[in-house]
Amino acid sequence: MPDQATPSLTELPAAPPPPAPQTPPAGEGEGGRLAAVLRWLSFRNISAIYIFAVIFVVFSIWVPDTFLAESTWRAMIDSQAITALVAIGLVLAVSSGAFNLAIGAEVGFGAILVAWCLTKLGAPIPVALALTVLAGALIGLLSGLLITFARIDSFIATLGVSSVLLAAISWVSGDQQILNLSHTFQQLGTGEFLIFTWPVWIMIAVGIVVWYVLERTSAGRHIYATGGNIDAARLAGVKTRRVIILSLAGCGMITALAGVLLTSTIATGDPTVGPAYLLPAFTAVFLGSTQFREGRFNVLGTVLVVYVLAAGVKGFQLAGAPTWIPDLFNGVALLTAVALAKFQARTSETHWLLRLLGRGKREEGHD
Amino acid sequence: MSTRLLQVTGLRKDFPGLRALDDVSFELRSGEVLAIVGQNGSGKSTLVKVLAGVYRAEAGQVALGEGGDSAVPEMHFIHQTRALIPELSTVENLSLGSSRSRLRLARRRERRHAEQMIGSFGLSFDVTRPIRELSPAERTVVAVVRALDGWSSPENILVLDEPTAELHGEEVGKLFHVVRQVAAAGAGVIFISHRLDEVIDLSDRVLALRDGRVVGDVPSHECDHDRLIQLIVGRSIGSIERTALAGERELVLAAEGLGGDTVARADLRLHAGEIVGVSGLLGSGRESLAGLLFGARRRERGEVTVLGSPLAAGDPAAAVAAQLAYVPPDRHADGAVMEMSVRENLTLPGLGPLRRALGRLDRRAELGEVRQWIDSVGLRPPEPGRRLELFSGGNQQKVVIAKWLRLRPRALLLDEPTQGVDVGAKLSIYELIENAAREGAAVLVTSADAKELVEVCDRVLVMRDGEIVAELAGGALEEERLLREELGLDAQQAVHVFDEAEEEEIRA
Repeated sequence: MPDQATPSLTELPAAPPPPAPQTPPAGEGEGGRLAAVLRWLSFRNISAIYIFAVIFVVFSIWVPDTFLAESTWRAMIDSQAITALVAIGLVLAVSSGAFNLAIGAEVGFGAILVAWCLTKLGAPIPVALALTVLAGALIGLLSGLLITFARIDSFIATLGVSSVLLAAISWVSGDQQILNLSHTFQQLGTGEFLIFTWPVWIMIAVGIVVWYVLERTSAGRHIYATGGNIDAARLAGVKTRRVIILSLAGCGMITALAGVLLTSTIATGDPTVGPAYLLPAFTAVFLGSTQFREGRFNVLGTVLVVYVLAAGVKGFQLAGAPTWIPDLFNGVALLTAVALAKFQARTSETHWLLRLLGRGKREEGHD
Repeated sequence: MSTRLLQVTGLRKDFPGLRALDDVSFELRSGEVLAIVGQNGSGKSTLVKVLAGVYRAEAGQVALGEGGDSAVPEMHFIHQTRALIPELSTVENLSLGSSRSRLRLARRRERRHAEQMIGSFGLSFDVTRPIRELSPAERTVVAVVRALDGWSSPENILVLDEPTAELHGEEVGKLFHVVRQVAAAGAGVIFISHRLDEVIDLSDRVLALRDGRVVGDVPSHECDHDRLIQLIVGRSIGSIERTALAGERELVLAAEGLGGDTVARADLRLHAGEIVGVSGLLGSGRESLAGLLFGARRRERGEVTVLGSPLAAGDPAAAVAAQLAYVPPDRHADGAVMEMSVRENLTLPGLGPLRRALGRLDRRAELGEVRQWIDSVGLRPPEPGRRLELFSGGNQQKVVIAKWLRLRPRALLLDEPTQGVDVGAKLSIYELIENAAREGAAVLVTSADAKELVEVCDRVLVMRDGEIVAELAGGALEEERLLREELGLDAQQAVHVFDEAEEEEIRA
């Protein structure tokens, strides 16, 4: 590059001094700060917030009585807490590069296991809870070992684990719902604290912990580096196997907890509930990665997306749309999200807004 | 007069905040090899992309052929890495491009055809092996052959973008032979390379770009290495002078009976403050040695000791803990996490000192440290938050090296540290290496570029067939001697060269 110290600068021809190469339009200084704010506010960075605004306006006009009711929003926030919690767990796994397809089955297994511990084992609630979360961690550990030591691709390893878990669910429950859960246990899922039910608060607490680990600690750096380029991370001294195993164990604990809350909320150990969380969680995680952090999986974007999608689905339901709308909406959202992320990766340097800013600047300079 | 194949006039291409091409004009005639040279960011790759139709120019014209009724030449682009499908064989890769035998699988005929095409360039290898098992030179030749296959007339244009980045001495020769044959048949060749000696060697004309402008369009026989550098950089660069080592130094890294990958058996000792080069043809063990020492590759035999204590095999984390540092040859695959920022990459191997209570990273301290390093390696643009993939190759490599220098390694192992890096950045990387040695690190540099090794190293180990066969230092350390040792030319000749070198020294 032009301006490194060189011992001998003999002759400097008539050409102008070497220019500063490729400074992007958003440098530092006042202009840079404005550009940075604009970049943060750009559709690319926080598209979900703009989409939410559109959803809000449309349904406020379409079905104002029901859509704007406070009870609608409280119900939605409560009911989506478990989905958000599962998605937070998934963020942890995918950030380390492990695409955990067993996530739905993990929720289902947690849901059945806690009910089984409480009824068949007669365990007290804290013990049942601890056992279930521990089982979740062990499942994650198993997936992690399969990926790192057996060197099975994460898709396939977790798909296999998922199938094994579905079998375990069926075996533990005998394909029967487990009923007669105590009232105290049901309080965990339905009891309220301040304005929300407990699952919302638990989701927020877990979300803060995962956010802190990923964004503020060295462990988080190691997780993102492993997910970003496992070979480079390994050569930089990151213990990538441990990172993947622990991320999946953490994910397993969170999903097991989600299963516990689910069983408590519906007051039944239902052997069929888990797999339904797979698609929404992946949708949220991928769409969430397009928010705030330029394509990086992150907790805040993920939780935001869960609720934006839920608001959309809710609006359609209130407007009398058929029952298949949520699936369609989630599926289309997932495809759009990934396409958007690809598009974003391609155009990150040549985005129209930045180009416009760059143009403006240069014209100023010329005038 | 030969036919004109391509005429480019007044090309201009703007990017936000940057004029990448400014009034670029040149022409290419049949039978001609035109080299395009310039630093990273000089507009070379933009020019290629405009020619390929990836970008649209804001102004100017690209005209193929001479106009009128004459045939319009085709343009074929060969990029070193993306040209072929690694899982398929030569035969399959060749038939992908052609329209022949799409319906029936005339396998035997296709195979014979492939062998003929390869053979016509004086090469022979198994055309049914997957491309990924071929040597880089062979791969490039297959890519060239695929482009040529199906040309109705030889008067077409072949664009080779950095085709020799992965190649070594003899292999470069093979490729050049092919390129010359193609040109002799009437094609026009555009050749883009960082290696200036090659450029002079191969091309008929050199087009030098600087800041998007053409700063020179000269016949190759009129310019030498220094003149080219002057054109490209806009000034001449003084080369680095090495001072001889004085006295005994502390032994930092020692390997005994080291084996694995292409290394059969290697013993070596690295001392504090010295820069040791490793030379050799592809497959000689040169490309595996540094990775084996560090643990990036699987060590099958032998012992490695760092400051007297043994190092676990195949465990990069242990190597980092023992204060080793390793810069791998493939920056994109292994060197850094491209989608993470400069800051995150710089501190990745050594987050420990920045860790506070609850595992929290001290982000302010981190940023301060990162800014210092950005400053001392001269990163452009100097933005800690910018994703690494958005930097030029040379600047990426500066970050990869800086992340290790930050840890003050006892031994710094560099595998092809200047691969795909432009002349200016090369020099700053040499300076970084020098400084690391001056501060007491033992430095190992493996390189396919003999000139580079001679310039930078105190002594150079030459590898052949998986073993270290020679060590050159002092007056014997000379480019031609290196190449002879690599090839294993007979001893007398080598001695002869050695004598000449000594004689010259005495005369001087």
